Amino acid sequence: MNLMAEILIQVVIAFLAGSLLLGLHRKVMARVQKRPGPPIIQHLIHSLKFFFKETAFPKTVSKVFYIGITFILALIWIVGVIAGPVAHDSLLILFGVYAVYKIVEHNSGSSSGSPYGKLSCVRAVLSAATELPLFAAIVFVYLVTGTMDIGEIIAYQSVHGPLFFSIPLAAVMFFMLIITKSPYSPFAITKDKVLISGFETEHFGLLRGFMHFSESIAWYVMLWVFLTIFFGPLNAVGYLIGMIVITFITGFINATTPIFSPNHSVMTQITIGAICFFGTVVMIFSGVVA
Amino acid sequence: MLDYMIYIIAFVVGSIAGLVYSYKQHGEPFVDTSLNAVAAVVAVVGWVLAFNSGNVILSAIGFVLGGFIMGERPGYGRKETAMGLIIAIIVYLILKCYSMM
Repeated sequence: MNLMAEILIQVVIAFLAGSLLLGLHRKVMARVQKRPGPPIIQHLIHSLKFFFKETAFPKTVSKVFYIGITFILALIWIVGVIAGPVAHDSLLILFGVYAVYKIVEHNSGSSSGSPYGKLSCVRAVLSAATELPLFAAIVFVYLVTGTMDIGEIIAYQSVHGPLFFSIPLAAVMFFMLIITKSPYSPFAITKDKVLISGFETEHFGLLRGFMHFSESIAWYVMLWVFLTIFFGPLNAVGYLIGMIVITFITGFINATTPIFSPNHSVMTQITIGAICFFGTVVMIFSGVVA
Repeated sequence: MLDYMIYIIAFVVGSIAGLVYSYKQHGEPFVDTSLNAVAAVVAVVGWVLAFNSGNVILSAIGFVLGGFIMGERPGYGRKETAMGLIIAIIVYLILKCYSMM
C-alpha cells in the first residue's frame, strides 16, 4: 500500500480507537464509582465538538507560540504513529516523541499566560520523573534483545517468547508511564482539578480540539508500544483485547485512587522506578534473564 | 489496515446514530431496564455478522448495527449487547470447530 495512505489510515484508526478507549476508560471509572457514566462514544463526540466551537484568544497569550504548540502536539503524536504502528522503527524515536511531548505540555501551559497554565507548566517539569523509568525500560529491552528496532524486537519475541515474562519489572516501569498518562491518574499532577484543566485551561475551540485529537492518538500509541515490546507479536484481535484490558485496569486504578500531591507523585514514581530498575539489574546479573 | 479503519468508522457511525435515536425515544429522567426484543435481534444480527461474515461490507454493516445498540443512552442496550456478543462468540467458536474437523 502507498505509504501516505498507510499513514492516513493508521492515524484515523489511532484517533478513533484512542477516543473510544478513553471513552471506555471514563465508563469503567464511572461504573466502579457506581455512576452510569457517559456513553463510550462521548469522548470522541466531545473531541469533534471542539472543532466546531468558537476559538477565543485570551489577551495574555503569546499568540504564535500559543497557537503553534497545539499543532506541534498533534504533529509529534502523528510522528509517533509513523514510527510505531506504520514503520516499526526505533524505540528511541518514540522516546524522543514522549520527551518532546513533555516539552510541549510544559510550553502549552506557559504560553497561555494563565496562572493555572503556568502552575501546570511547573508541574510538567516535575512530572518528567516518569521519563527516567521509561528510558530504563527501553534500555533493558535493548540489553535483552540487542536492538532498539521495534520490528526486530517483535522478531526476537516470536522466537524467545514475550519480553513480559523475561523482564516483568521493566514492563511494570512502562506500565507506570501508561497510568501516569491516563485521565484522572493518581500521578496526573499537571491536570489536577486544583488547576482547572491544567495546561489546557486556556485553549478553546479548534485548539482544544487538536489537543483532544493528540490525547487520543497518544493513548493508542502508548498502549500499542507497550503491547508490542512486551507481548508481541500480536494480531489485530490481540491488540484490541490487550488495549481494552489495559484501559480497564487503568480505569479501575484511577477510580479508586486520589490524585497525589506533586511531591508524593514524583517520589512514588521514582521509588517504583528504582525498585523495578534494581530488580531487573539483579535478574539480569543473576542469570534469571537469559 | 483499510478494513479495520472501515470497521471502526462503521462502529462509530452506528454508535452516534444509536445515541441520537435512543435519546429521541427515551427522554424520561429514569431508565427502563426491561429487555427490548427488537434491539436484542438487531444486536445479535449485528455482532454475528461483524465477527463471522468474513466479508468487509457485511462485517461493516454488522458493526453499524452492533454499535447502534451498544451506543444507546446509558442504561439502554446493555443486556441486548451482551446477548449479541455472547451469541456471536458462540457462533464463532462453532464455526471454528466445524472448520477444524
